[in-house]
Amino acid sequence: MAGRSLTPKASGLSVSARKIKDNAADWHNLMMKWETLNENGFTSATKIVNIKIATQFKDKLEIKCDEVAADDGRLLPVYNAELEQYCTELLGTFEKMTKIHQKMEKLCSTTKGICDLEKYNHGNHRTPLFHTWPTPYFYEASVKLLEMYSKELKLKETIVQEMAHTSDQDLSMVYLSSWLYQPYVEQSSKVLLESMLLETGHRPL
Amino acid sequence: MASDDLPLLHTLHCSLQKCFRALQEQHETWKNTLAACTSLLGSLSNLAEQMLASQKVAFANTPLQDFPCLPERLRYRQQCAAEALLEELEGKLLELQKVRDAAGVHVASVFQHCDQQEGLCQERAFQRSVLCPSLADMLEWLLDMEGFYHSIYLEVKLLLLQVTYEDLTKMQTLPQAWEQVLQHSLQNVVEDALLKVSFLEAG
Repeated sequence: MAGRSLTPKASGLSVSARKIKDNAADWHNLMMKWETLNENGFTSATKIVNIKIATQFKDKLEIKCDEVAADDGRLLPVYNAELEQYCTELLGTFEKMTKIHQKMEKLCSTTKGICDLEKYNHGNHRTPLFHTWPTPYFYEASVKLLEMYSKELKLKETIVQEMAHTSDQDLSMVYLSSWLYQPYVEQSSKVLLESMLLETGHRPL
Repeated sequence: MASDDLPLLHTLHCSLQKCFRALQEQHETWKNTLAACTSLLGSLSNLAEQMLASQKVAFANTPLQDFPCLPERLRYRQQCAAEALLEELEGKLLELQKVRDAAGVHVASVFQHCDQQEGLCQERAFQRSVLCPSLADMLEWLLDMEGFYHSIYLEVKLLLLQVTYEDLTKMQTLPQAWEQVLQHSLQNVVEDALLKVSFLEAG
């Protein structure tokens, strides 16, 4: 993460504080990567929907032709290599997102570990590691973020599985829109992240 | 015909030249802003299509049935995106308004200058040559240009005022309505006039 450290007594940070600070930076990086992947995935998903619409239109046209001409087997569904290519692409993006989610889970569990350690060493009366946040706040923020991304990942999994199998254009549109706008990654996620960055000194106060 | 008003005519030509040059710069901003609106309205139309589709789909009968509050959450996010686009369009409208106002100020200053030149022979004002349009011609073009900005600005404003993300079908057809505005904008008195006076620059 760019930006100079503004944490008070930056050099004198305890091990726990340093770890929490790194975690905040990791959250930032993972969320940025997630956004990039989301955009890539949306591009693939849009192509899938466009191919589906085009082939449906072509099928309808051919059925009409076949009603007039003799059937020569053209009604058999044609294997669409392009469609498969974009489906593979989308699946690849989804797998990368799954990996990011795993890293988020790990971040959450290390934050929990730090909180437990702090509690063990100092009880409930530990002074804040940085400016104002008691250590458990970091864990609570991580849990909230993880919850959002977990729900979003589940939604994306369904979209990846179903996207190429629906012939309903409206539903395809809903899949696309849901992928793009990520309804479970709430806008408060940005506030949580920025608060963490601010508290740990990654962002200037 | 008096020839002692030739210096007057010359200063008026200079002031016209300055005005046309300023209008040319403003017109570049105008064109860029209209182009930006085209892409924003395209996005808004896409969004309207997505919102309409979300309304038509019965989520309970789809693989998305188990996702809590998905239709509401999705609608909220879509509306946020629509609001953001509308806000951007408001900004563009403001830019168009600025061009319109700036054009008005430039044109008014030329007319003020003309009013002050009492010694100018009226006949001279109508005199045109192969190389130079008459003063009256050029003043008329200026008024046409000013009128053009006024009318197109109002058309754009009216179009945007009618946009509401509650009337999605209308929002979806925005690019077509916009195309009509652009068509009017293409019958462009500004570019015609600027072309007609382009030799003034060279001369």
